[in-house]
Amino acid sequence: MAVYKKTYRPYDGHLTPSWSRFLVVARYAYEDLRRSRFLSFFFFASFLYPLGCAFTIYLRYNLGVLDAFGLAPPKSFAIEAPFYLTFLGFQSMLAFFLNAFIGPGLVAPDLANNALPLYLSRPFSRAEYVLGKMSVLAILLSLMTWVPGLALFALQGYLAGFQWTMSNLRIPTALFAGSWIWILILSLLSLAMSAWVKWKPVAGALLFGIFFVASGFGAAINGVLKTKWGHLMNVSHLIGSVWVSLFEEPLKRGAGAVFFRVAFGEEIPIWCCWASLICLCLFCLYLLDRKIRGVEVIR
Amino acid sequence: MSWKDLAAMPWDLWRRQVAAIQRLELKKNLWTLRAWWIYLLALGPVILTGAHTVIELYRPHGNTLAEDSMVFAGMFQLFYLRLGIFFGCVGIFTNLFRGEVLERTLHYYLLSPVRREVLAVAKYVAGLAAAALFFATSVAASFVLISLHLGTEFREHVFRGPGLEHLTWYVLVAVLACAGYGAVFLFLGMVFRNPMLPAALVMIWEGINPFLPSVLKKASVIFYLKSLCPVSLPPKGVMALIAVETAPTPAWLAIPGLMLVVAAVLAYAAHRARGFEVSYSE
Amino acid sequence: MNEAAIVFDNVSRFYGDVLGVNGVNLSIPPGVTSLVGPNGSGKTTLMNLMTGLIRPTRGTVSVRGIPPDRPHELFRVVGYCTQFDSFPKSFTGYEFLFSYLLLHGMRATEADRRALEALAQVGLLEAANRKVAAYSKGMRQRIKLAHAIAHDPRVLVLDEPLNGLDPMARAETIALFQQWGEQGRHVIVSSHILHEVDRISDQVILLSHGYVVAEGQIQGVRSEVSDHPIQILVRCLRPAALASRLFEQDHVVEARITDDRRGLAVRTRDADRFYLLLNRLVVESGLQLESVAPVDEDVSSVYQYLIGTQGGAS
Repeated sequence: MAVYKKTYRPYDGHLTPSWSRFLVVARYAYEDLRRSRFLSFFFFASFLYPLGCAFTIYLRYNLGVLDAFGLAPPKSFAIEAPFYLTFLGFQSMLAFFLNAFIGPGLVAPDLANNALPLYLSRPFSRAEYVLGKMSVLAILLSLMTWVPGLALFALQGYLAGFQWTMSNLRIPTALFAGSWIWILILSLLSLAMSAWVKWKPVAGALLFGIFFVASGFGAAINGVLKTKWGHLMNVSHLIGSVWVSLFEEPLKRGAGAVFFRVAFGEEIPIWCCWASLICLCLFCLYLLDRKIRGVEVIR
Repeated sequence: MSWKDLAAMPWDLWRRQVAAIQRLELKKNLWTLRAWWIYLLALGPVILTGAHTVIELYRPHGNTLAEDSMVFAGMFQLFYLRLGIFFGCVGIFTNLFRGEVLERTLHYYLLSPVRREVLAVAKYVAGLAAAALFFATSVAASFVLISLHLGTEFREHVFRGPGLEHLTWYVLVAVLACAGYGAVFLFLGMVFRNPMLPAALVMIWEGINPFLPSVLKKASVIFYLKSLCPVSLPPKGVMALIAVETAPTPAWLAIPGLMLVVAAVLAYAAHRARGFEVSYSE
Repeated sequence: MNEAAIVFDNVSRFYGDVLGVNGVNLSIPPGVTSLVGPNGSGKTTLMNLMTGLIRPTRGTVSVRGIPPDRPHELFRVVGYCTQFDSFPKSFTGYEFLFSYLLLHGMRATEADRRALEALAQVGLLEAANRKVAAYSKGMRQRIKLAHAIAHDPRVLVLDEPLNGLDPMARAETIALFQQWGEQGRHVIVSSHILHEVDRISDQVILLSHGYVVAEGQIQGVRSEVSDHPIQILVRCLRPAALASRLFEQDHVVEARITDDRRGLAVRTRDADRFYLLLNRLVVESGLQLESVAPVDEDVSSVYQYLIGTQGGAS
């Protein structure tokens, strides 16, 4: 019998901390995203509106600049919660589009090309896989929503003074919490759709479908059954209601953020909105649990 | 090409091949659990209108036939045409070729003794048959259910009044919507690797159609379909201020116009199918 | 044009800047022809070209007189078992074959009969009503084969058809190929299993980096590879005596006595002269030979000589 010299040894060097391993998935996802020029352009273009808001805030506290341009200052130019609500609405809609472009491509290709067994046959759990993919969306969407929002609040706080800042602390809290609710819902939805249909384009279409068709069907329910409960299917109405409550804004005509208006006279109790959103998240987690598996059994 | 040449073509073979492709497409894409979302889009309004009838029977709100007609018109134009049939056709028709490429099964068709033109037309027909079956049935069922609680009054309206004519027009418009949108999305599915982006643009274009100038309005499937609806829906509130009123296109122009668009797209699809090459790389 | 042959006339195919095949001139007669070459050498490209799944950048292809851009005529006579391991979802093995046979314009009864026959030929009759997605790799390979043969084509193009098959299934499939070849069909097979290629092939086509390096019957190809002297093993009782006579010949490059001292491994530049010499020696010196056999007149050796380690995966 031949004798072979054993040169193979298992790796015994330094190991990276296990809590950070999910970021490996995110790193390669970012590499893919960087290659898309359209996405890079869209992402950077999404900072135009925050820049405009920053300029508006600056003007508010430096009305002399308007004099220099020969412009009369407006009679009332308050930058309060509605301003930030509008900002959140606008940036959140851009975040929705970015998520619709990125999200479906995160899980669907791995499932379609049978890559999950390769991930899951390592000391890497399904939860870490999902967390890694979600972190891609969470980081990008955070940079579009609460990060510039808090920066704007900090700018206004600096210009308006400490007193104003302390008396308006609900604004950054609402910005942060409201953004994260939206980020969580968007990322869970897009990952769940991506895992369920396995095709990037179809997952993207399904995402649009869930928002537009569900809200359309909700409006049909309200019209046919003469009720307001159809709004439970309208994710933008639910989110708008939650934001209005976080910002402690009064419910009046036109309440809510742009693209996330609360239908006046058809408000749903806030606990129902929360329950609906939580059910949606749980359903997405259920779909992910069903589909993110190393093995698929076909009978 | 003379009539003799046309008659000499293997029509019987093509008919059998079209039937075989239909059978395959329905089995692959529609008679499966994967098509649950199309069933949902079609069944949703039926369940809704059924619930409305049940509620009206046990706890009447005094809905009149006129109110129900307006509600159905709103549901048809705002949900069926703009959302239900639109998204249903996006899913069915973009899938016909792009879906096969993604699943890496297109080569089975290309390795069969089927003319590529026949393949393109047969796939479209299969998609249209499925979409029309789902949504026309859904529209008819919803139309009946929404006013069923009115009993005799509704029966009179249908059999002695304009009801049957309205129903016929609604079903025809639904089928035309499937044909028109189907052609658009078949084209997008063949031309673009990711047809969802242009489909989103089409959705936005159709959505802003009421506010476009008259000339641009005509470059839209929904403009012609709205003209054919038996009950028109006037814009309300702010929309009434910014919507641009345009004279509706008569049926004798709208229907052939849509058919012409479908024929043009099918001709392009047939031409493009001849040059198909199998390349499954992303 | 030879209407019984598959003809490539100066065919090239480029994938952008990447070469698929270049300047291919082939006339493939009926029988079993193997395409041999390393990964990326152009075997699948050639198969896709002859079945019309891709178009040539230059040149023309014809299969028994039919150009591949007439699929409605071509696929009545051609069956292609591709490398793609994907199937329409939720189909059983039987439904897969039956549904695609209907595309030929067959009646349902005829399609049913042919589907069952094809399933029986590949040994999948018992699994016919199971979903293809639940098949093992070998079963999926066999169902693809069944799909290619179900309509009884005259030309079979088989891209690595023995992949994933167990030894019994391989032997049965190889027997099928030989049977089809004897019936005068074209059987084009690509394979990496060179000893099996040896067994089944009437002719081989060797490819490397998109070029046809050699084609024809393996003995003929070997005899033209003059860079590498032919190796012949002579089994006899007195190998040393034979060796001493051989060293007098200028065409004998090497003569090595085997370990059991009952054989002589000879390398010669001229096999014909060597055999003539051997005949003379047997007559003159009464040398008793047990056997004389060429050692490297097979695909594996030719592959090594012509493609060797240069033809690595690309």
